[in-house]
Amino acid sequence: MNKTASELQRRVLALIGRGMDAPSTDAEFNDLAQAVFAFQFAHNGIYRAYCERLQHTPQTIQHWKDIPAVPTSAFKDFAITCFPVAEADAEFHTSGTTADKAGKHFFKTLELYDAAIRQSFVVHLLPDNMRLPMLVLTSSLADAPHSSLAYMMGRVVADFSAPDSGYYVERGALRVEQLVRALRKAEEARQPVFLLGTAFAFVHLFEYCEQQNLKFNMADGSRVMETGGFKGHTREMTKPDLYALFAHWLGIPSARIVNEYGMTELSTQFYDQTLRESRQTDHKLVPPWSRVMIIDLNTGQEAASGETGLIRVLDLANLYSAMCIQTEDLGVARDDGAFEVLGRSAGAEVRGCSLNAEALAKS
Amino acid sequence: MTATREQLLSAIASTRAASAKVRQSHSTERIVSALAETARRWLVTDNPWRERAVVEAPAATGFSVAMVHEAVGLTFGALTKDAFEELLRREVGDRRPFHGPGIIAHFLAGNVPPPSINSICFGLLLKSANLVKVSGHDPVFPSLFVESLRGIDAGLADCVAVLDWRREEHALTETALAEADAVIAYGDDETIATLRRICRPDAHFVGHGHKLSFAVIAKDAVTKENLPSLVEAAAFDVSVYDQQGCLSPHAFYVEEGGQLGSREFAAALAEAMAAYQARVPRGTLSVEESAQIAKLRGAYEFRSATDRTVAIWASINANSWLVIYEEDPMFTPSCLNRVVFVKPIKNLESIPKLIERFASNLSTVGIAPMNPALSGMNEQATTFAAELAKVGVNRVCPVGQMQQPPLGWNHDGRPNLAELARWRSAHRSRLQR
Repeated sequence: MNKTASELQRRVLALIGRGMDAPSTDAEFNDLAQAVFAFQFAHNGIYRAYCERLQHTPQTIQHWKDIPAVPTSAFKDFAITCFPVAEADAEFHTSGTTADKAGKHFFKTLELYDAAIRQSFVVHLLPDNMRLPMLVLTSSLADAPHSSLAYMMGRVVADFSAPDSGYYVERGALRVEQLVRALRKAEEARQPVFLLGTAFAFVHLFEYCEQQNLKFNMADGSRVMETGGFKGHTREMTKPDLYALFAHWLGIPSARIVNEYGMTELSTQFYDQTLRESRQTDHKLVPPWSRVMIIDLNTGQEAASGETGLIRVLDLANLYSAMCIQTEDLGVARDDGAFEVLGRSAGAEVRGCSLNAEALAKS
Repeated sequence: MTATREQLLSAIASTRAASAKVRQSHSTERIVSALAETARRWLVTDNPWRERAVVEAPAATGFSVAMVHEAVGLTFGALTKDAFEELLRREVGDRRPFHGPGIIAHFLAGNVPPPSINSICFGLLLKSANLVKVSGHDPVFPSLFVESLRGIDAGLADCVAVLDWRREEHALTETALAEADAVIAYGDDETIATLRRICRPDAHFVGHGHKLSFAVIAKDAVTKENLPSLVEAAAFDVSVYDQQGCLSPHAFYVEEGGQLGSREFAAALAEAMAAYQARVPRGTLSVEESAQIAKLRGAYEFRSATDRTVAIWASINANSWLVIYEEDPMFTPSCLNRVVFVKPIKNLESIPKLIERFASNLSTVGIAPMNPALSGMNEQATTFAAELAKVGVNRVCPVGQMQQPPLGWNHDGRPNLAELARWRSAHRSRLQR
């Protein structure tokens, strides 16, 4: 295993190292994806059993699109790894909403994860190569050692921040007064800031601003990375509504706000092209070490471009867990290969007079 | 089409006037005849109202054309003269004539027609004026029914005004509730609570919340000989109304130790679901509904590869039905749209405990076997039914008949007519004139 594994790790790292703007050809991606599939098939018994059930083996798979996907729910039921869990260098847990148990993603090494985080982050959030104070609206890794989001924030703060950076969530609560003081200080110094956090945390900030009648006009160059943090929270807000609040309370226009799509079960993140294109965008590009497919809700096959389906990600950086992940998020593929995230598939409305699982979970 | 305030006020006045006339002109028997005759005509295949329902209902209800036909059969098949008589016998007896509140406001919900149509029938038997606010998921059946009644008995039909307005139009809801002497409300808990809060304090309020149902298969029923008819009946109960109804089972508990196992039941049920789907296709789903099924299917498909306590049967290349076998006995509510759990159970006595959590939401439990010759139930089923009643189940019936409650069934354990009926003594009625 070691020789294959380190060879594969080297090849994936090389692909990540080429950066966002060196697309991989289909043949090139296919070649590496098949090798990773063979590796995962050989070393993950749970996954192998599933593939065999589907009659998909390294011998039968011709194209990466046919590689069986592991549903994110499987991370709750099984250890999805190609190595003994005891050897894990890190483990990240999903938030585990309501009665649900948390999913766990074990990492043999964080080297691939780190590389994937850096490459995409710089290109999408720091295209001007600025180093700004990062005001992070999540817990720090010390506070939330099993949060993949906290890990990622730690990574980018360590690598790309300027002084006066800090975390503004403690034990799950937003330290909103401290955050407001930091914002006011930066505003007065005309110092651009970089706000990073979950949509939920930002909404909390804006509610506070409204209560206290606080408005800011953050310096030009300020920017925001927001990530879908509404999971498990009942309040819903559309992206335009949320972005209007940034403009209203902070003076940061939507052309400076980037949505990030990532999850505990993946090693790679996807971003809107907003800062790269200097306008608000909703489409995400796929880095060369990954692919995204939209899966038809009824047939389980790839959906036509423009059709809504479930997002499936092939992430070569998930070398030691599962490369092909079936998410529970809805998305749409565009003709140019980019995709749009429509959000987590929420509960369906009751049409008849029967309660459904979703309605009962709420009650 | 959303009603205006003027339309609502005019409907209130006209149904009031019609109701006053019907109280003079119509005996209960005459009303029963008119309703039963209207229903009987719907059952004829080329009935023009049925034809309109088949054209108009699929878009709003989400049902396939074949399901609309099925719904017509189930809804109107239940409205026979005998069924009305049985209802009257049980709830009113000889105490006739009776009448109901001046105006009943019916707030309908959902796409399953029988509760809506029955509610209108009850209002007519009470000779009340009936203001019917239809549900966005079925604006079709109530208005077509009243129109079809008009051809039989226009005076009676005039006692009903079917209106449609959006939930957000509070002013219309408030206007209707200000007039209503009684309110019959269907819907989720929140809707019912809201209507209850704003109705007149002296109004009689009847709320029917959303419910759920399940079924129990005792080991005697799981025989080779029995299996084909058993699973056909079970698949029917699940699939009708695409499982949207409060009588639709979410799960089958199958008692272990029968001639065949619960897995065999599940596999056969899957075949029966496929057969029903071929005859009566499931309707079109929203993206969210489809996504729920796709997620559930994906999760169980993956698990079942290594976890022998779960198994799954699904329609090929489509999520038109799904049977999930799971040994964990915990009651799992379904995401609906023909997704059903099959769970083995060691002894039936443990079931009441397992469903206790959902006690306030339970409607019907289907049971097999039930012997119709012995007033519906064998001894074991009778004992078991008594246990279920203790945790809140208010109806047990044979598997295969979950979707056909008798008209006289006390919906949610409450009388349909008696609760609203008034008996006016001769003396008092003289005084009033």
